[in-house]
Amino acid sequence: MRERRHGLAQLGPSLQRGEVTTGPIPLYMRSSPAAAYSVRGSARRARAAAVAPLAVTVPDTVPASGGVRRPLALAVRSFTKTYADGFTAVEDLDLEVPDGAFLGLLGPNGAGKTTLIGAVCNLVRPTAGRIEVFGHRHDTREARRLVGLAEQDINLDRFLNVDEVLVYHAGFFGMGRARARRRAAELMDVFDLSAKAKVRPGALSGGMRRRLLFARALMHEPRLLILDEPTAGVDVELRAELWEYTRRLHGGGTTVLLTTHYLEEAEALCEEIALIRGGRIIARDSAAGLRAKYGAADIAEVYLRAMSEAALSGEVAA
Amino acid sequence: MSIIAGHDGLADPAAPYVEERRGLLWLCEREIVRFLKLWMQTLVAPVVSSLLFIIVFGLALGDRIAGIGGIPYKQFIVPGLVVQAVLTAAFSNNASTVMQARMDRFINDVLSSPLRWWEVNIGLAIGGLVRGLLTGLILLVVAVVLTGVGVAQPLVLVTATVLVLIAFAQAGVITGIYANSWDAMAFITQLVILPLSFLGGTFYSISRLPDAWQAVSHANPIFYLVQAYRIGFLGHGDVPAWVALLVLAGLAAGMSAWAAWLFRTGHRLKP
Repeated sequence: MRERRHGLAQLGPSLQRGEVTTGPIPLYMRSSPAAAYSVRGSARRARAAAVAPLAVTVPDTVPASGGVRRPLALAVRSFTKTYADGFTAVEDLDLEVPDGAFLGLLGPNGAGKTTLIGAVCNLVRPTAGRIEVFGHRHDTREARRLVGLAEQDINLDRFLNVDEVLVYHAGFFGMGRARARRRAAELMDVFDLSAKAKVRPGALSGGMRRRLLFARALMHEPRLLILDEPTAGVDVELRAELWEYTRRLHGGGTTVLLTTHYLEEAEALCEEIALIRGGRIIARDSAAGLRAKYGAADIAEVYLRAMSEAALSGEVAA
Repeated sequence: MSIIAGHDGLADPAAPYVEERRGLLWLCEREIVRFLKLWMQTLVAPVVSSLLFIIVFGLALGDRIAGIGGIPYKQFIVPGLVVQAVLTAAFSNNASTVMQARMDRFINDVLSSPLRWWEVNIGLAIGGLVRGLLTGLILLVVAVVLTGVGVAQPLVLVTATVLVLIAFAQAGVITGIYANSWDAMAFITQLVILPLSFLGGTFYSISRLPDAWQAVSHANPIFYLVQAYRIGFLGHGDVPAWVALLVLAGLAAGMSAWAAWLFRTGHRLKP
């Protein structure tokens, strides 16, 4: 099994000995072996998960240390979205993301990624299904304050400067002025935007705007960070910087849901990768697991095989 | 460097959502800051535009036009011009802001936040409301100085102002939600609101019109706005104050209900 930031040495001796695989494994762990890595440094928690009875339906909570069950960061159940023109972008989709996980969502244009993200972020009205964020219905205030979104499009208010973009965003999430200003200063420092604090987005370079979007999504310290193609159209250097930011965030406990067209990005960053096509999840596993499943040399080959298989099965079904 | 400065203490998902400062106040502040940044365009320009009418029609030509009902013409046109400036400011501010926010998609920043639907509605409406109020106040002061017009019934004027601001701030938000182009916006402001304003008795009393045109004028909602303001400034109009205020209240309630429905359901805001 390929390891990146969370090496096996970090997971404790019992996990290294393979004890977590000896009992019935909850469905969310079976479908996503790498999810076990998100059980940070807690072999006890992993063992607790391992001895839990096999659930027929996917549990909405994750066993935590001391037997306390904590909710999934994201639980999507039977989600369907049919737009007003009759186009069904997503159909009967189930997805779960444990707290602390890093999940990549890969798929072609029109696969339903942005629709799914929009629904989670209360920007798209589900036609059917249920979406929960840390156990809260997705459109409640309790859920909203836990989610940060950096959209694919550069959607910045052209009349506000960098500092205002950040401070007002924090305000919408209920932050007081002093804390919002402090947090904005911190993030401008981290994202190298301090010199541009009083500059409007229109006068920023593309890379700076992308960093500003990223910073804005982090202003209210979201527990679930959703990145919708965050590196689309950015140069190699900035991409590497954003990868590093994302890794550090995840290392600090943030759950990350990433959509991208860059296969190497998903492979480099994500603990798990879900392939989506035609509004359905067609495969989900670690990069290593996917390579093994499809007998592929790399994730690009996995992607092509999975998509062609899905297309073929779709044609047969039709 | 830390993980991401200040990001180490993630919120407890089970903890109740508590605001240090209301998100609604932040949104109101943002909408006001936005138009104040463009004060030349949003405040000075409409005031100058209305002043030109007062100067040309009131001061330059007013002496050659007979007074109406014993009121000098330069004073007679002030109420209509003030209310026209107020409603246009409230409407156009919100229509352009909301449409821009939709087109550039930065409205998502608000829609994905914990703000409640009614808070988003109020927050987005407040910019036009404050801009309309400031425009009206500046124009009132200048008109009093230039024409000597007084305020005969302050309560009617204040009530009418509140209702006009609510009605057209909400109408602006609604238009911003439905409009898909600047052309559509221009159609509403230039081909609907402006003609209705001029035909609403800004420059004349409808008692001088033939009966048929008087009846048509009564179907124009802006006619009642002008009448309410005229009663507020000059003490009398073509309809009783309560009729004008009742129509205004109905307009404000209708627009507010429509805007509330749009935000509550997400219609046209969320696909």
